[in-house]
Amino acid sequence: MRIVITGATGYIGNRLTSLAIERGLDVVMASRQHMARSRTSWLHFDLASSEVINLPAGTDVVVHLAANTTVGNALDEYGEVVAAQRLIKATEKAGAEFLFVSSQTARVDAPTAYGRIKWRIEQDVLAVGGCVVRPGLVYGGELRGLYGTLVKLVQKMPLLPAFLPAPKVQPIHVDDLAEGLLRVAERSDLKSGVYYLASPVPISFTGFLAEIAKTRLRCRRVFVPVPVVFINLVVALLGEAWRTRFGLDRLRSLFDLPVMTTRADLGQLGLSPRSLMAGLHPAGDDRRRRLLREGKALLAYVLKEQPSNSLLRIYVRAVEGSRGGRAFGFPGIFLSYPTLLSLLDKGSWPEATVGREFVWRMDAATMLAETTLTGAGRFLGSGQRQEPLTSILLITNALAGEAFWRLVRVFVSPMLRYSLAGTKGVS
Amino acid sequence: MTADFDVIVIGSGPAGVSAAFPLVEAGLRVLMVDGGKLAVVRPPTEGFLSARAQDVEQWKWMVGKDFHALTKRDAVSPKLRVPSQSYVFDDFARGNRINGEGFITIGSLAKGGLSNAWGCGVAQLSSNELAELPFSASEMRASYARVSQRIGISGLNDDDMADYFGSDEFLQAPIPMDELHTRLLHLYEKRRVKLHAHGFKLGRSRLAVLSADTSDRRACNLSGNCLYGCSRGALYSAVHDLPFLRKHANFTELSGFLVDSLKRDDDVWMVTGNADVERRCFRAGKVVLAAGTLATTRLVLNALNHRQSIPMLSSPTAAFLLWLPGLLGAQRSPGFGLGQLSFTLSLPDRTSAFGSTFSTTGIPVSEFARHIPMSRRYGVDLLKGLLSSCVVGNLFLPGQLTKARVSLKGDGSLMVSGTYSDSVAPLMTEARKKLSKAYWSIGALLLPGSYTVGLPGGDIHYAGTLPMRAKPVLGETSSLGEVKGIDGVYVVDGACLPALPAKSHTLTIMANADRIGRAIAINIRGSCS
Repeated sequence: MRIVITGATGYIGNRLTSLAIERGLDVVMASRQHMARSRTSWLHFDLASSEVINLPAGTDVVVHLAANTTVGNALDEYGEVVAAQRLIKATEKAGAEFLFVSSQTARVDAPTAYGRIKWRIEQDVLAVGGCVVRPGLVYGGELRGLYGTLVKLVQKMPLLPAFLPAPKVQPIHVDDLAEGLLRVAERSDLKSGVYYLASPVPISFTGFLAEIAKTRLRCRRVFVPVPVVFINLVVALLGEAWRTRFGLDRLRSLFDLPVMTTRADLGQLGLSPRSLMAGLHPAGDDRRRRLLREGKALLAYVLKEQPSNSLLRIYVRAVEGSRGGRAFGFPGIFLSYPTLLSLLDKGSWPEATVGREFVWRMDAATMLAETTLTGAGRFLGSGQRQEPLTSILLITNALAGEAFWRLVRVFVSPMLRYSLAGTKGVS
Repeated sequence: MTADFDVIVIGSGPAGVSAAFPLVEAGLRVLMVDGGKLAVVRPPTEGFLSARAQDVEQWKWMVGKDFHALTKRDAVSPKLRVPSQSYVFDDFARGNRINGEGFITIGSLAKGGLSNAWGCGVAQLSSNELAELPFSASEMRASYARVSQRIGISGLNDDDMADYFGSDEFLQAPIPMDELHTRLLHLYEKRRVKLHAHGFKLGRSRLAVLSADTSDRRACNLSGNCLYGCSRGALYSAVHDLPFLRKHANFTELSGFLVDSLKRDDDVWMVTGNADVERRCFRAGKVVLAAGTLATTRLVLNALNHRQSIPMLSSPTAAFLLWLPGLLGAQRSPGFGLGQLSFTLSLPDRTSAFGSTFSTTGIPVSEFARHIPMSRRYGVDLLKGLLSSCVVGNLFLPGQLTKARVSLKGDGSLMVSGTYSDSVAPLMTEARKKLSKAYWSIGALLLPGSYTVGLPGGDIHYAGTLPMRAKPVLGETSSLGEVKGIDGVYVVDGACLPALPAKSHTLTIMANADRIGRAIAINIRGSCS
């Protein structure tokens, strides 16, 4: 599939381009300056110019991300709309689909020019049967865009404002957004309309900043309550020039965000966005942390004591090497109380593939636990005196323990099935 | 056409080296080629139990830095999970283009072949079994003696299994048994008459393991590292014979050369294959095939362009766990990891089964924990208390009981398929009952649920695809292993055995290879003078 991306070097565009290349799509980057990037081609596209756009032959989808981001640019409010119309016309001529990446702030009566422009373009896109995606607050990946500004702000300022009342945001990780955009682009059966891609549950802006501090930057920040009324006063007093200079318009639009119902659209595209905590993790997801937690539980279950750090690391490496580093996805209770794994061990699973993955992890934990000094003691009795009496006690205790958990399993089996229903085996 | 060599031997395993010795000693120019894989991970040198108690890095040779043991989780035998032995089995099926359909196909591209990772069990064919072969028994007996003396065999000549293994004047003293096996044998000796009447005989294992030092190899010191590789050289591997072959100037070796075709060119044979990325070709008057039954068969079928399927022999196997209640709580001590006692069992239809019992110490406990029907946490506890008074046993049935067939595919690859014959399941059940009863009378309980029948091909004792016959037809070999239809190509590995009894067959293969090598040497020398 040939996909033309405007704004391909921007915050979202960059990730979208990378993902599209990874998927084997034929990517054409459309920008003012020639962009040389491996496995892509280039098309000259300038928002400000009025030249005719000639899309390359075989273009299937045009994703319009480009926007006027330079503060104080001469491009007036209608410049962007006209540019979009040019692009839409060219797309129609080429017989391709149009996908416009809009904004949560897009409304006919939006307080910011940004929101109003987006809304105008949306209407033009919908008129020709294209699709519009309104993303939530995009975060994650490189420190760019509003996300980049916020992270740098949190990093620099020891005191942060806790707006009262706190505005609500619906974040979405830039990679999840890119995935969603590709799915919209690839699906030919989607009806023309507006699709909302964001976290279904809004969180407070203060909470968002706090999470940035805690997970992304690993620093402590103090929040100072700031009534919203106060902000509005300051902004009104500052005047236009100062407003644009500090990007205060952007900040103000935060207070105006309409709540988006996204569940239906996410469901239709089969998208499960990652949690905020996972997404803000410097690595982009907190796989390693989850693997360590899983390893700790499995090894403690087998060894009956806390595993050493080196053994934990070996387990994580084993899973990273052989299972692509994905955590199994145990329900939390098993990770907090490893003994409960007795209920799952050597049992049957609703889904065979999940069951096999579980057995692999158990076998791995058992083998790795055995091949340690502690393991030699636990498995072989190394360094311990063996006598008939201790052996008998060991055997009877083992049989009693097994019998106990088998009995418990009978009683809790419906609950077990419920708690395991969501386990995919790889997460 | 001038030949580069008089004989090319394909394969450096027990069959290859045994055929090579007489050829090289007769002064012939011999080229030996093999897959050339060498050990990469060193096996441990200190005793198994002390290594486990002290070595912080033990996971590297038990699981592997690359987590080899986890990758091979589903493999049929614990041997395949040992990191230091991975070189023995790697790439065999791919390199030789062999595929199994419902049948396990294992072989080796290593220098020394599968003898780097075998159980070291040896036995001679009985007089009746020798009589079935299309050549004189005295030739074989002489070859048995030569090979036995060369490789070093330990065992007893005068217990109840001595007849089964054959009389051997060069035997070294048997490897000392552990407490469990000593007790089993002691109780057996009290009840032997009754047990004989029920068709059960027990005796010391006969093994190609040294109990006394030789010039280049050291005797077994009961370190218990057998599964991981013997750093002392006590366990025989064909690799130990190679230095002696190399002493001869007329012996040339080429490693990493995978042969894929044999073609006749006038009066020489062209052996072609891949050495790394190069294709190379060598010419010789005669070719000796010792690449292992599967690989050898593929080369022969290719050379004959024989597309029909041919039958193959493979022994059905079973494994079981015996518990000696009288020795519950026995202290784990360093000991031998391979077979200590061996037995024969008479079964219906005049079938004779063979097996051996081993200590459990050198086998990772995880191997047992996987299979017992208990959660691992408690299973490990149970095994900790129980295993030190347990022994593991295996069982082999005669090779004609597997209905296996091999055939050459259009693309030149070999397809192997097979299932057990219908009589195997009832025979296995009967064997379990008889073993249970027999061992119970000598103080060992065959743990219920532990008796497991293996998968077809799991024995890795494939044989008999190109059987030796007095009057061979296409797809068979002469009494000298010469392939009917392609003069000058000799098969000396398991492929040429006409029958596969339950007993260990490696010594028989080696003796046969020695016999054939001798005959080829005489043939060539005779035609020169």
